[in-house]
Amino acid sequence: MRGVVGDALTPELIVNFASAFGTWGGGGPVVIGRDTRRSSSMLRSGAVAGLLAPGCEVIDLGVCPTPVVSFAVRELGAAGGLSITGSHNDARWNALKFIGPDGTLLNAVKSEELLDIYHSSGFASAPGNAFRPVSTAPGVVDRYLEHVLASLDAEPIRRRGFRVAVDFCNGSATGIMARFLGEVGCTLIPLNEMPASQFAHHPAPTIANMHQLVGIMKYINADVGAVINVDGDRIAFATGQGTALSEEYTLPLAAHCRLSRRTGPVVTNLSTSRRIDAIAGRFGQTVIRTSVGEGYVIDRGLEEGAVLAGEGSGGVASLPGAMTFDALQTLGMVLESMATTGVGPGDVVDRLPHLVMRKGELACSTDQVYKVLDIFRDAYSERAPDLADGVRVEWDDAWLHVRSSNTEPLLRVIVEAEAKARADALFEDAMAHGRSAIHARRED
Amino acid sequence: MRTRSLLKISISGVRGVAGEALTPQVVTSFAAAFGTYCGAAPVVVGSDTRPSREMVSEAAIAGLLSVGCIPVHLGIVPVPTLQHHVRELRAAGGICITASHNPAEWNALKFFGPDGIVLRPNQFAELLDMYHQGVFPRVAAQEIADVRTDRSAAMRHQETVLRAVDSAAIRSRGFRAVVDACNGAASKSAPEFLRALGCRVEELSTDEGDPFPREPEPTPHNLGALCRRVLETGADVGFALDADADRLAMVSEEGNPLGEECTLALAVDHVLTRRPGPVVVNVSTSRMIDDIAARHGCPVHRTKVGETNVVARLIECGGPIGGEGTGGVIVPAINPCRDAFVAMAFALEALARAGGTLSRLRAGLPSYFMVKERVQCRPRDVAPLLRHLKGIYRGRPLDLTDGVKVVWPDRWLHVRASNTEPIIRVTAEAPAVEGARVLVRSLMEYLRPGMR
Repeated sequence: MRGVVGDALTPELIVNFASAFGTWGGGGPVVIGRDTRRSSSMLRSGAVAGLLAPGCEVIDLGVCPTPVVSFAVRELGAAGGLSITGSHNDARWNALKFIGPDGTLLNAVKSEELLDIYHSSGFASAPGNAFRPVSTAPGVVDRYLEHVLASLDAEPIRRRGFRVAVDFCNGSATGIMARFLGEVGCTLIPLNEMPASQFAHHPAPTIANMHQLVGIMKYINADVGAVINVDGDRIAFATGQGTALSEEYTLPLAAHCRLSRRTGPVVTNLSTSRRIDAIAGRFGQTVIRTSVGEGYVIDRGLEEGAVLAGEGSGGVASLPGAMTFDALQTLGMVLESMATTGVGPGDVVDRLPHLVMRKGELACSTDQVYKVLDIFRDAYSERAPDLADGVRVEWDDAWLHVRSSNTEPLLRVIVEAEAKARADALFEDAMAHGRSAIHARRED
Repeated sequence: MRTRSLLKISISGVRGVAGEALTPQVVTSFAAAFGTYCGAAPVVVGSDTRPSREMVSEAAIAGLLSVGCIPVHLGIVPVPTLQHHVRELRAAGGICITASHNPAEWNALKFFGPDGIVLRPNQFAELLDMYHQGVFPRVAAQEIADVRTDRSAAMRHQETVLRAVDSAAIRSRGFRAVVDACNGAASKSAPEFLRALGCRVEELSTDEGDPFPREPEPTPHNLGALCRRVLETGADVGFALDADADRLAMVSEEGNPLGEECTLALAVDHVLTRRPGPVVVNVSTSRMIDDIAARHGCPVHRTKVGETNVVARLIECGGPIGGEGTGGVIVPAINPCRDAFVAMAFALEALARAGGTLSRLRAGLPSYFMVKERVQCRPRDVAPLLRHLKGIYRGRPLDLTDGVKVVWPDRWLHVRASNTEPIIRVTAEAPAVEGARVLVRSLMEYLRPGMR
């Protein structure tokens, strides 16, 4: 549930969604955390009010990364969690991430239940005016750190004592990351570490937002660099020499680390690079693909007994320990791999197959989307497209995915191929196709 | 069939059973409307100790933030403390979250202007229009303010009141006082204040976290525990506050409740001795006030029931004191609102000056008996009923300031719609309790057929 704060994302909306969520959770305790956005404290107030009304106890973790909220829900046996964060969106945006009692983001079925409650306005109210208090959970962050450390082989990392540069984008993960790196004997070189509502750059961990990090890497003699988003679920890496590695490399990197210790399938979405197939293949593991969205990949991962779930956006969860994407845990895996194998992110990426990706978007109103997708389906019918989430077409050397955005009224077009010319040709073809289909629909 | 209780919107605020009629949705929108009314500036927020206080406070803060206000969160504070603080901070307004004397499951929003005074009827009408329009000028993410917390309100309010009385004279008496705060908003500050006046304080029901131990209204039948404690401890006085500390009732050293009408009577007598001037009270306030004012040669003005009406009139006529018979003392020069701290300070000052006991002081005041009744009545039935009553009492002197008040030389009967609940309040006063009962009984007889 996201929007631009102001006329679209109002506190009334937050109150209603929180009341619906509290009702969905049967009035049980709900853990909340928020990012550093100025608007997040307004959303927090609305969410607290909305949760208290149906009789929930609110356990407020304050400014806190999403994966810690997820952990606290499980640790405290809460009925659910709310992470108040615009995540990778810019400072004008904000959102609520709904977390179920198992610590995962609500999947499609549970979200529908929530929406039905929301739309019926049938919110529970605290029986007999027995409103519960707002409490805190001291120590839960310590237990989260213990949990992450227990999942890693920390000793080799301590012996190496890496220098790690992290760009926090003024988000909520600074304190906990500093503690974590201290625990594993690494030196943190922080960048944009002050929690603030004005972000130093756009919070998505993409190459475009890594200029600052890359700019300092060659002067600071760090072993590795990373940029994480404001609620600490997504991460992208830079090499010690200052080469920015796109967020698309985060999942293959994590897979390299994880699969060298544990065997099992990897789950990702239909829009993610085939590099993950190459890594999984090296370890003799399969890749399972789902619709785009954190909820889908993690749900499926748990179902399939996968050891890793992630997306090309830089979000990775090490299963079954993490129930949401977790930047801190991902960094931990990479450090462990660096320490035990001596192979750094740059080396792993260098050994990945060379693939070229092209991404584009086409403005397309919601009412047109499905018609336009049907036109795509028919156009590529001889390749028997996968229709689980939009239209995905496979060739031996390439793939194409056209899908409706979950968050904006547009179609996303993604192409990946071994050769640049091939990628360009498929991409231009698809874009032209899309434009004319949208144009044709408008003429109707 | 059990029907949901309704929201009750009046000049006394927006009230209802919390979570049922007073939902966080309603609160958020009302706060956004009030923030719009105030403009993007500091707005003070505080609450009493009801279980729904956090739910309502957070909803109000969210609404204020969304339209660019800077919420200044005072936490748990008495209403008069909040009103005082609005002026201290030169804030654009204030919201107090308290249902005053209503039972614990109720809550309400009370709105105050920059002068710390409850919104006047025309101002409140403007706010209601904004609420009903439903479109508020929300600010963009970067213009949302940080919430400020401010814990200095109680101290600053107490300092103001202490400066207004002869603290040294009171301290020199070393009174022993029992204070019953109903586990309400003054649980901490009322004992603190009395200690600052040199009292040895015995605390009763001063746990903010606990439920109300009694009905919050400080009427005699709710004060049994206080009366006993006064006797046990040999205290000079017992003070009973309501949950938001705007109303005060007193218990004498003999363990007798004086009746909440005496709080204002005593304060009026005390103030007029030094500073004669017009007294303003509502139409339902005891005739004691007229007798006392007459002794001092001062006029009495009567207004509709409701703090805002009394305060407005007081300011208009420049009166030194006024209030409401339900235990609300208003001294505009100190704090232009009902203020139990002012009432306690004047009671102690009067005691110190008189040199005797509280029951002796009481004995010097006129004596009347008041009987109160309440009758369920839908708002739409109120006007026909009042018309019916006017017919019945035709020929008698009637005061139609607020409902219908029938006046005899030594007694009166008053019928009006409550501002806070869907009921009709019936009040009668006479020199003897039987006289008042007869008036109420006769009226109840009339009411029954009238309501059908």
